[in-house]
Amino acid sequence: MPIVVTGLSHHSSPVELRERFAFSNAQIADALGQLRERGIADEAVILSTCNRVEIYAATRDNDPALGQALRQFLCDFHGLGPAPGDELYTHLEPQSVDHLFRVSCGIDSMVLGETEILGQLKQAYKLAHAEKATGALLNKTFQKAFNVAKLVRSETQIQRGSISVSSVAVELAESIFDSLKSRQVLVIGAGDTSEKAARALKSRGAQSVLVSNRSHDRAVTLAAELDGRAVGFDTWEQEFKQVDIIISSTAAPHYVLTRDKLEGLLRQRGHRPLLLVDIAVPRDIDPDCNQLENVYVYNIDDLQGIAGQYLEQRKAELELCKRLIARKRNELLDSLQAHPGNTNLGLREQQAGS
Amino acid sequence: MLYSAFLWRRGFQRDNWINYSLLAAAFVLHTLAMAKRGFTLHHCPVNNLYEATTFVLWTIAAGSLVFGLWPRLRFLGVFTSPLLFCVGVFALMPGLDPPPTGKPQFANGWASLHAAMIMLGYGAFGLSAVAGSMFLTQERNLKFHRARALFTLLPPIQRLEKMITISLATGLVLLTAGLGLGAAYVELPEGASFQGDPKVIWSMLVWAIYSVLLLLHWKFDQRGRRYAWSAIVAFGFVILTFWGTNLLSEIHNPAP
Repeated sequence: MPIVVTGLSHHSSPVELRERFAFSNAQIADALGQLRERGIADEAVILSTCNRVEIYAATRDNDPALGQALRQFLCDFHGLGPAPGDELYTHLEPQSVDHLFRVSCGIDSMVLGETEILGQLKQAYKLAHAEKATGALLNKTFQKAFNVAKLVRSETQIQRGSISVSSVAVELAESIFDSLKSRQVLVIGAGDTSEKAARALKSRGAQSVLVSNRSHDRAVTLAAELDGRAVGFDTWEQEFKQVDIIISSTAAPHYVLTRDKLEGLLRQRGHRPLLLVDIAVPRDIDPDCNQLENVYVYNIDDLQGIAGQYLEQRKAELELCKRLIARKRNELLDSLQAHPGNTNLGLREQQAGS
Repeated sequence: MLYSAFLWRRGFQRDNWINYSLLAAAFVLHTLAMAKRGFTLHHCPVNNLYEATTFVLWTIAAGSLVFGLWPRLRFLGVFTSPLLFCVGVFALMPGLDPPPTGKPQFANGWASLHAAMIMLGYGAFGLSAVAGSMFLTQERNLKFHRARALFTLLPPIQRLEKMITISLATGLVLLTAGLGLGAAYVELPEGASFQGDPKVIWSMLVWAIYSVLLLLHWKFDQRGRRYAWSAIVAFGFVILTFWGTNLLSEIHNPAP
């Protein structure tokens, strides 16, 4: 009994097409029932996310037309015309198993190595399992896919590091400070990226967030959202003594923090490390501040540069991931072959021979 | 040490048990060799320069292994092994390990305890220098915006600074206790005196250097790069002058 996957993803189709094939949770239950009732598949799992819509299916009678039937089913279910060509793909065994493993590890995702897809895949499997749409074959295959995702996470660096600017800022803070728990964050200029970075720091345990913005109302709003406190745009220096991390993103055409000004402020707070994250363009923080001892200044280019290198590092891990996936796929197929209930021997041997 | 150089070039990016295991294996052999010598001589093997040096190195290795149990401190061994190797080779110099004369230079248990505590203290100072070099490596990465500051599994610099302080404070306590025991209980050879003995003066100087270093840190907020450099330079001074003052001292190196 071969496993077949049919669907479309961000690799093959634009969002305008994907959204037409998307399933809601209620539709998935209905679709799983129809697949069985119409005799298309004996087992099935439907994965529908913003980046992919896929049906993983298996039949007992080794139906070579299963892929075509699934394509037609997708179009019929959504009331669409003839099935699109290249946008809709079908993978047979063993490529279908490879594909599932790649999806579970996040290496088929738009953001390489992301982990959200694993949760979505587990949710899709859970739903199919609850609908009694899975059997021995897909149960075993999906469990293996979850194990492979875990293995890839622990044995490769595909999921390591941050590839967004705000996450890089958090990692920098964690490379400097022993713990973020007692750290005070000051946000100067309540922009979108600075808000994200402050949120990320807060979620990692930062003690409190102070927000200073030219529009005080906006500062008050953001401070309330972050469970912090708003401070006047001209009086943030008074709070400097307690601050460990500053995220600056004002629209000021000049430096908000010059080296001379910082030297004066540093005398108030001793020699504790200070992380200055400058995500404003033009820059808010004089780059010469980085020359002061225990002060670390990072601007938007530095952060994007690190994020880019992380991405390169992830890409470099792809080969290792693929090797691991191939090994685990062979293990799975060998164990399925040895299983007495497995009826896909003919097709597998046929494929191996071709 | 060669494996350390390899890991250094790789940027400490993956958790590495090989480095830790190699150091642990070397530590076991080192311990066995020291125990064998101790049982043969019937006293703690801190009787001559070779033994004293290897005892200090043993302490540094033991400290590295204990700290290395924490994943983020596992690479401490990589920074430790070059120090162990270089000082260890130096300790093998002919003349530092004269054959035993049958009578230990230190006659009683207090003397062994005095020497052992001081050597443990120097080991802790050595560990502070190792933590200092880790600090400087990571601090430099951060200062120059090198992505490897985040890619490595080295600990945050503030934790490394704490580690320097813990090692320094431990070393100072052990050194103080060892010197105190020496002054109070160790019987001097006939005609010898603490006054004017180069090793005694040197030991007091070392004690003063480390006391000032900690005082500057605790009372005057001495931190960061300067603090790390101070720990390294102070230990460099100890290791470079240890042999000379020992050889000049009549109490610690009596004429046969």
